[in-house]
Amino acid sequence: MPEIRVTPLGAGQDVGRSCILVSIAGKNVMLDCGMHMGFNDDRRFPDFSYITRSGRLTDFLDCVIISHFHLDHCGALPYFSEMVGYDGPIYMTHPTQAICPILLEDYRKIAVDKKGEANFFTSQMIKDCMKKVVAVHLHQTVQVDDELEIKAYYAGHVLGAAMFQIKVGSESVVYTGDYNMTPDRHLGAAWIDRCRPNLLITESTYATTIRDSKRCRERDFLKKVHEAVERGGKVLIPVFALGRAQELCILLETFWERMNLKAPIYFSTGLTEKANHYYKLFITWTNQKIRKTFVQRNMFEFKHIKAFDRAFADNPGPMVVFATPGMLHAGQSLQIFRKWAGNEKNMGTVGHKILSGQRKLEMEGRQVLEVKMQVEYMSFSAHADAKGIMQLVGQVEPEGVLLVHGEAKKMEFLKQKIEQELRVSCYMPANGETVTLPTSPSIPVGISLGLLKREMAQGLLPDAKKPRLLHGTLIMKDSNFRLVSSEQALKELGLAEHQLRFTCRVHLHDPRKEQETALRVYSHLKRWAPRSFWLGLGRSGARGGSHCASRQRPQGPLRAAPSRWVRDCGVHPHPGCCPLRGPRHQGAAGVLDLPG
Amino acid sequence: MDPECSQLLPALCAVLADPRQPMADDTCLEKLLDWFKTITEAGSSLLLLQENPCLVELLCHVLKPQDLSSRVLSFSLRLTGVFAAQEDCFQYLQQGELLPRLFGEAGPLGGAAWTAPTVRSGWIQGLRSLAQHPSALHFLADCGAVDTIFSLQGDSSLFVASAAGQLLVHILSLSMRGPAEGPPGLQADDWPACAQKIVGHIEESLRSTAAPQITQALNVLTTTFGHCHDPWTQVLWVQLHPLVAALLEKDPVPAAHSLVDLLLSVARSPGLSSSSCGLWETLAQTLSHLSPTQAGLLALGILKLQDCPQALRAQAFAVLLQPLACVLKATAQGPGPSGLLDSTSADSVTADILLPSKAACVGLLCRTLAHLELLLPLPQRPCPWPQAPLLGAAVTLLQLCGGSGSPASDEGRQLCTLLLGCVRVQRAALDFLGTLSQETGPPELVTQVFAVLLEYLRSPDSSPTVLKKAFQATFRWLLSSPRTPGCSDLDSHALLFLRELLPVLQKRLCSPCWEVRDSGLEFLTQMTRRWGGQAGFRHALLASEVPRLTEQLLRDPESYVRASAVTAMGQLSSQGLCVPPASPEHPGGQQKSLLGELLHILSTDSEGFPRRAVMQVFTQWLRDSHADVVGDTEQFVAGVLQVAGQDLDWEVRAQGLELALVFLEQTLGPPRSHCPYAVTPPVAAPASPLTQALQPLCRVRLFEFAFRALFDCDRPVAQKSCDLLLLLRAKMASSSSLQEPRSSPDVASVEAALQRWRAGDQAQPLGDLEPEVVLAVLRSMDLEGLRGALAESSDHVEKSPQSLLQDMLATVGILGENEADCY
Repeated sequence: MPEIRVTPLGAGQDVGRSCILVSIAGKNVMLDCGMHMGFNDDRRFPDFSYITRSGRLTDFLDCVIISHFHLDHCGALPYFSEMVGYDGPIYMTHPTQAICPILLEDYRKIAVDKKGEANFFTSQMIKDCMKKVVAVHLHQTVQVDDELEIKAYYAGHVLGAAMFQIKVGSESVVYTGDYNMTPDRHLGAAWIDRCRPNLLITESTYATTIRDSKRCRERDFLKKVHEAVERGGKVLIPVFALGRAQELCILLETFWERMNLKAPIYFSTGLTEKANHYYKLFITWTNQKIRKTFVQRNMFEFKHIKAFDRAFADNPGPMVVFATPGMLHAGQSLQIFRKWAGNEKNMGTVGHKILSGQRKLEMEGRQVLEVKMQVEYMSFSAHADAKGIMQLVGQVEPEGVLLVHGEAKKMEFLKQKIEQELRVSCYMPANGETVTLPTSPSIPVGISLGLLKREMAQGLLPDAKKPRLLHGTLIMKDSNFRLVSSEQALKELGLAEHQLRFTCRVHLHDPRKEQETALRVYSHLKRWAPRSFWLGLGRSGARGGSHCASRQRPQGPLRAAPSRWVRDCGVHPHPGCCPLRGPRHQGAAGVLDLPG
Repeated sequence: MDPECSQLLPALCAVLADPRQPMADDTCLEKLLDWFKTITEAGSSLLLLQENPCLVELLCHVLKPQDLSSRVLSFSLRLTGVFAAQEDCFQYLQQGELLPRLFGEAGPLGGAAWTAPTVRSGWIQGLRSLAQHPSALHFLADCGAVDTIFSLQGDSSLFVASAAGQLLVHILSLSMRGPAEGPPGLQADDWPACAQKIVGHIEESLRSTAAPQITQALNVLTTTFGHCHDPWTQVLWVQLHPLVAALLEKDPVPAAHSLVDLLLSVARSPGLSSSSCGLWETLAQTLSHLSPTQAGLLALGILKLQDCPQALRAQAFAVLLQPLACVLKATAQGPGPSGLLDSTSADSVTADILLPSKAACVGLLCRTLAHLELLLPLPQRPCPWPQAPLLGAAVTLLQLCGGSGSPASDEGRQLCTLLLGCVRVQRAALDFLGTLSQETGPPELVTQVFAVLLEYLRSPDSSPTVLKKAFQATFRWLLSSPRTPGCSDLDSHALLFLRELLPVLQKRLCSPCWEVRDSGLEFLTQMTRRWGGQAGFRHALLASEVPRLTEQLLRDPESYVRASAVTAMGQLSSQGLCVPPASPEHPGGQQKSLLGELLHILSTDSEGFPRRAVMQVFTQWLRDSHADVVGDTEQFVAGVLQVAGQDLDWEVRAQGLELALVFLEQTLGPPRSHCPYAVTPPVAAPASPLTQALQPLCRVRLFEFAFRALFDCDRPVAQKSCDLLLLLRAKMASSSSLQEPRSSPDVASVEAALQRWRAGDQAQPLGDLEPEVVLAVLRSMDLEGLRGALAESSDHVEKSPQSLLQDMLATVGILGENEADCY
């Protein structure tokens, strides 16, 4: 029995180091290769030794797919390709390919600089790893080999984030990576075809959350920044160089312009230019508004936001500074924090300790820093909430859903919701657990030209979006299936046509005269003949519409939508309108429909 | 445990025991466990529990029926195991019946929590830590844990199943270690009950018809023979060998990969005398029973063995060579031996695998090439090594993939169809071909090698990864081309090839793919480094457009390429290869402009890679006394340090210190060797007083650069600067002529400025420093203390246990507000 197997090595009931192994029709694909930044030993990387016990990874894996540039999705890639020894192809979108090495390099420097770690991947390794990348365009079908194909779809979330459809023959899996179903200031909403995969692997970070309007969060953010600046305070916004930072920049830039504010806004470490460069380069990946206004004004060329110099931190008066890194654990953001923390006028959005309420921090050299500044936490994270996830599942119409990248308890809630409301099987494996889904074999069926011509003669042109029913006779010969007209089938098989006449005797108890009764019966039959005829033949099952009929009676007459069947086969993976949906028509796809 | 942590621990235990308090993140518990492991490794667990009763309370508390997080439960099981690893603490916990309640039927094992893999994993890991002493063995037997471990071998979680197998091996090994009075006898009947039970289970599994059970048994045995080398393992093998050999009689052989692993593990085990156990016969049988796709790994393993019968080695080598022999046979232009396995006709089984399916064909060929590539550099590789036919096979495969092969037979044409354009085989064959360069081959074959490499480098169909490998293989073959032993020069054939190669390289440097341009530049750098001094190479290179194109690539839009171009230009320049013969009017004109260009990159490039590359080139130039640097070294060093000091990339600043160190050594002489027996060359320090020698360093503002770096926010820069200044101070100490005044107004002002720098205010420059002031400041600084402080990682405070406990406590009650924000 063919099957799809999915084993998360990371992101199974947790959020961190996404790494999911998928085996589909004999092909092995690794989805994402992330690292867990909470660890600084081997535990930060997925345990790749579980991929295969025997042989080399390059022989086992057909490809690696990276959904986006965040390190919990790509951080282990140089380790995997240059230190563990994977030498095969790596697929990602063009923006991800451009931005990924910057973040990897940034992290490498922190690991080596801050933590003094040896035996970490080097710059050369990052470069060598990136040379193995094959960049893909949105909606471009890429043939990994003769059988395996992948296709990227827009995922929102961050610049270049993509969902991937992985397809082998008629079997397919969609992996969402991280996605956002609502547009933000700079990116659009995720979108994907109604591709009806066997399995949808979706993130579930906000599995139980219905997020409030982003406008409220934006207003709140602007209000707090504005108040701090009005007080003459300084605002520190620790950010990651690329991603949310640009969204917040657009927000502040527009607000500064509208309110005619004069306090300077700075963006640290020359990353503004770099970020702008990528946003300009990949303008097609941003949202519609930015694309439309791009000709008149590039939204990423800011009037109010200037490059930061470390000397500016000592300038008197209010200012807003976007500084990296976002976790406030090193570098410029930490330096500025040290300078400003002692003043209660100032405001910062900061790292773990401060966020959790600590007001006295022990810094290096046993110095204690008292935090008097206001600390605010505002989430601009761009993940789909529960509503968005349900919306995506509805849009894709998968046969099964598998939840990753979320907490177990929240997943449990969403799993029930998906199963109850959408009637779709849902799985939530822990790391190391394998989910196996049986799939139907693909049975190609050729359709005779005569049959198609006869269908065309009815005047309706084929339309991929409107599958139609097609009656025919399925012939199996030399392991090949063909759908032909009944006449041709008889001819080819050298069979004579037999006609069966069904009759029955009906006793009518009518007090009227025989002539009158006969007339009444005649007029009644004339009016209701077709229906009465079928009812009379005892085929009431055929009345219930094509879907149910074929599902309840897999031995029933074969109906097919010609326009799709010509290309695909007798197993039309089209839930909702496909006559052969249901138990995925294992083996025989139909039977001879003898003329009645 | 320090008092601060001891104070925080009760509160933390209360939080952990409270099911309403979710943990901040899953790393906290792991780190907490790491900390407890460190403590118990250094001291008594029993004392720890007695001093911190909250720990036992926590362990008792998790047993109460409640909606406790599975992560906390798993943590508690593992923590218990860590404590119970010490026998006295084990007894203490046993007295309280805590162990059976945690690990027995009454514990999580029988409850709903068991459905969580993390709990099952915690249970296994807890037992793994606990099983360190004979008391633990009795406990395992009493609570029926071994049966549960058997069943967990087939767990739905890979992690749990694997850990269960490893735990079985550990228990078997522990029980065979025996009590203090001595290990058990060598007769299997005398073995402890626990060991007999495990061995019985393995035997039963090996007899099973279910492949998963056989796999589990084989995996347990593989780990056993891999880790335990005591005499009892030989008894175990003798007992189980017939059952293992019986697996070969089944068709198909079940769990073939695991069987291969086991046989190789046994063969490698120093505890086993292979000849007496019938191992070689089993290996030979296995080789002939397994399909070529499965047998390759076993064959490679056998050939790697140090001590193995020659006949078995020959058989194994034949298995490895078979697929390539099939390729050679299928593509032979005429009848006659191909040189590879001519004594036997090509195996029809292999041909059957190769030909009908592309996936199988590609898989087998890639594996074969990889195995042979691993084998070639080993001292125990087969001798004689069939270099010529293997070269022929690699070339043939590349030709088939590239479309230039023209096989005459039907099988050959079929192979050609299957392999045409196959990148996987191309990559594997190029890697293998590169490795084959360690040996030479017949001239006509070497010519074919260069031809096929050139074909790949020329082909517009070659993917960037294939091109990179083609460049690498080409370099390796060029390296191996000299016919005269000990001579590194390129021979005439190689030079002829080079003339054909350079136009191809030229084309590749203009490729629209940055990966290709970069690989081309890396190849050029390697070649120049190796043969830059050789007339033939120089002539060919200067006659080509390659230097000019390389210079243009300094302005490439891709930063990786710019960095590689900088390195390549630096190398070309060092060898005097980046200029056409200088005209008499402008001697060295081009060179000067390269220095300017590189300085421009250092000051303006928005990416770190090219700037770092420039610094490396400059350091090398200074070290090699490059002509352009020698002209005015002080101006060069001053200029570079000024720019590097302002760089945002700490690696550029650190590289600046490297350059400063080279300059310092050139000015004052190299550091003295610390080895008392080393032959010390005459000290190159100038005879003049040290203050005079320091003048050039002051003029290039090296000290301002170094002092600024000393307080750099990036630790490696500060460390490097500290080392540099310590070196200088050591030189001061060795100079007896110095007795400069201890303090002066200048010294005070510099020290005050340095204090401000240390506090983070580096706006004010130090100005011109006199050597005397520098020396005085250096003397007064606590550089050793600073070096000690810098040796600690920047996050040592965050990493401390106290900080961890505070973090965990601080998250209480606020998690709901601040959801896990994953970017």
